[in-house]
Amino acid sequence: MADISYKDKGSILNPLKNLQFFGRKPVTEPLGPRPASKNYRGFHLNDWDACIGCGTCQKVCDNAAISMVRVPNAIEDPVKGIRPLRPAIDYGRCCWCALCVDVCPTAAISLSREYVHVCTEDQIDSYFMLPDASGMHGKPFAEGWAKTETTDLIDLERQEMPEMAPESRSDNFDEIVAGYDDQQALLEASRCVQCGMCHDACPTHMDAPEYIRAIWEGRAEDAVRWMYQSNPFSHVCGRVCTHRCETACSIGSRGTPIAIRWLKRYAMDKIDHEQVKAIAAEGKVDYLTGKRVAIIGAGPAGLTAAYDLVKKGHQVEVFEGLDKAGGMTRFGIPEYRMPYDKLDQDVDVITSLGVKIHYNCRIGQDRSMDELQNKFDAVVLAIGLQKGRSTRIPGSDHAQVRAAVDLLRMITLGEKFEIPKSAVVIGGGNVAMDIARSMARLQRQEYGEVRMTVTALEPRDQFLADPEEVKEALEEGVVILDSRGPQACTLDEEGRLNGLCTWRVLSIFDENHRFSPSYDDTDEQIHEGEIVIEAIGQMADIGLLGEDLTEALEWNRGRLQVDENGRTSEAWLWSAGDCVNGPDVVHAVADGHRVAASIDAYLGSQESVEAGA
Amino acid sequence: MSEGHSQSYDRIRSKKTLQEILEVATEFERAARDFYSDLIPRVSKQIRYLVEELAQEEQEHYDLFTALASNPEIESAILKEVDTPMSDRRFSDAIHLPDLGDSPDDQAVLQYAMGREHAAMEQYTALAESAEPGPIKDLFTYLANEETKHKAELEKIYYETIHSGGV
Repeated sequence: MADISYKDKGSILNPLKNLQFFGRKPVTEPLGPRPASKNYRGFHLNDWDACIGCGTCQKVCDNAAISMVRVPNAIEDPVKGIRPLRPAIDYGRCCWCALCVDVCPTAAISLSREYVHVCTEDQIDSYFMLPDASGMHGKPFAEGWAKTETTDLIDLERQEMPEMAPESRSDNFDEIVAGYDDQQALLEASRCVQCGMCHDACPTHMDAPEYIRAIWEGRAEDAVRWMYQSNPFSHVCGRVCTHRCETACSIGSRGTPIAIRWLKRYAMDKIDHEQVKAIAAEGKVDYLTGKRVAIIGAGPAGLTAAYDLVKKGHQVEVFEGLDKAGGMTRFGIPEYRMPYDKLDQDVDVITSLGVKIHYNCRIGQDRSMDELQNKFDAVVLAIGLQKGRSTRIPGSDHAQVRAAVDLLRMITLGEKFEIPKSAVVIGGGNVAMDIARSMARLQRQEYGEVRMTVTALEPRDQFLADPEEVKEALEEGVVILDSRGPQACTLDEEGRLNGLCTWRVLSIFDENHRFSPSYDDTDEQIHEGEIVIEAIGQMADIGLLGEDLTEALEWNRGRLQVDENGRTSEAWLWSAGDCVNGPDVVHAVADGHRVAASIDAYLGSQESVEAGA
Repeated sequence: MSEGHSQSYDRIRSKKTLQEILEVATEFERAARDFYSDLIPRVSKQIRYLVEELAQEEQEHYDLFTALASNPEIESAILKEVDTPMSDRRFSDAIHLPDLGDSPDDQAVLQYAMGREHAAMEQYTALAESAEPGPIKDLFTYLANEETKHKAELEKIYYETIHSGGV
């Protein structure tokens, strides 16, 4: 072995050189990390108040580093689009690409400038953590990478829906909106982050993310296929749905929600009607069960139940009091919002499957409930809310005081009546706007001018009508007066109705939010009108039940008592739709599915008993 | 003085004893209870719950007034006179029962019930304002609050029934 060179060994006096350091001032370097740069992509921060648990971060993460974790006591509100979930990060997988930040619809997630985490082997799970606003270790670190206008992957503005100008639409009942073209639909669909909040909020749980994706990929037929899995009234819901899906849409937290309703409309209009019928028929069984179901009312609830039941092989007959199907979607919604030909197509799809509709057949008059009970294995009551409520203020029993729902029905049926030169509507909901706008069109056709006044109890910002309806009514020349409480219908010396007297509303609800209107009687106004139209509320006409059945049925505070499947206290009778849940088309569709499933199970169990016997 | 004149005089007197006021109030509640009880079999089963609840409510009021009459604190002040409020006549008139027809609907029943509660609320509020501080004032304040609560409850039902589609 060679000896070490004397140069490498150094001087024999070297150890003594260290003595020189004893006289110097000591220097201590901190063990903490160096400050990170301003846009550093360190550990995650999540503002739990802003986070809605949509899971978009999880979906975008290519490394599958994010899991959505249910958090105890977190708010859960599908209607508002809030899930009790928060993203947990696996730092064994995360590559700090920050796509989760860039795609977060609410801008709740950002990255901090904190980047050090050390642990022993038994603490290895600490690399999987649930970030909140306080950071990885609860120590204050500045925010690093965060969403900016340039890095935001969310497109906040929706494609504008082309529609007719007020001057071209005010004297006719043509549909106002024109619909998206292919390019607009693609661009609008591309805004969707597929979070599924819309699915949770929809009463019938339509697979909106799936059909939006299909539209984005240019597969409109598949989009319609997805729609028909949960909604046989897709033309109707593509036009007049209350679109709760859009209220819950995560994009709406910072921008305008995806135009889900208009995308549905686009796909339905894109596909040929015969093709839609073929799609709807997919999954229909090729046998008959021999069971018969009667449905009273050909509205969305009744016909949805009919659609489901006929596909299961049951024989379904629908009894409709009027000469057309559609219920309030036809007789309560003006044609400029819901074109009859599109409604006819929805109905045609359902009847093409074998559903038989008896028109102009009034139960209680033309046939009795007893007859239906005896001839059918199950009966569904889906009669809607077709009668208008009255204020019953003085003078409201005058012949020129009319219910909005009655006039809307007459307009749809084409029944002639004298168009008033001026009219006053009482109410601030969609029905009030519908009748005011319909009458305004008729006035313009007849007299060339509009003299319609709407008086509502509520202040403008609390109107029950959709803001769009109010805006369009104003554009069409309707005068809308808010915070006016009706006191009496006024008559001239000859007893002719000539207007409505209102007082200014000071408040509608008391401190406990109970209806308790108070008025300023010094602020009185008389609104000119040859007729007064009441649009304050609706009710079901249960006269068809007859006294005996009304007595036999159980009621719950004025409503027909039904279980969670829509079944009444009478084993053979179910009820669905507006008469049970209040006015809402998509809720009626959901209800139709629910009772159909319950009836199918009931008929199936009957079959088993018969087979056993 | 004829009986008719005597009744008219009673109605316009500026002061009444607590006993007189409580008697009228008790009668007010009894008449309403009987009215609603008679109505129960005549209304549709759909709205029978409403009339049953109103009858029950009035029975509770009647029991309350009956108990008050024998309350020692009230008994000692029973002959004390208090100012007759402006609302007294409307309140007394509300004892007279309306004809709601053979089978009134929910709206007619609710409107009548709200009118009664409003008359009672006004009456007790006015009496509370005019009474001297003490047990009588406390009594009327309590009654006014009770009637106000009942009226608000009825208005809530009215709004939900009439303005919200009846479901």
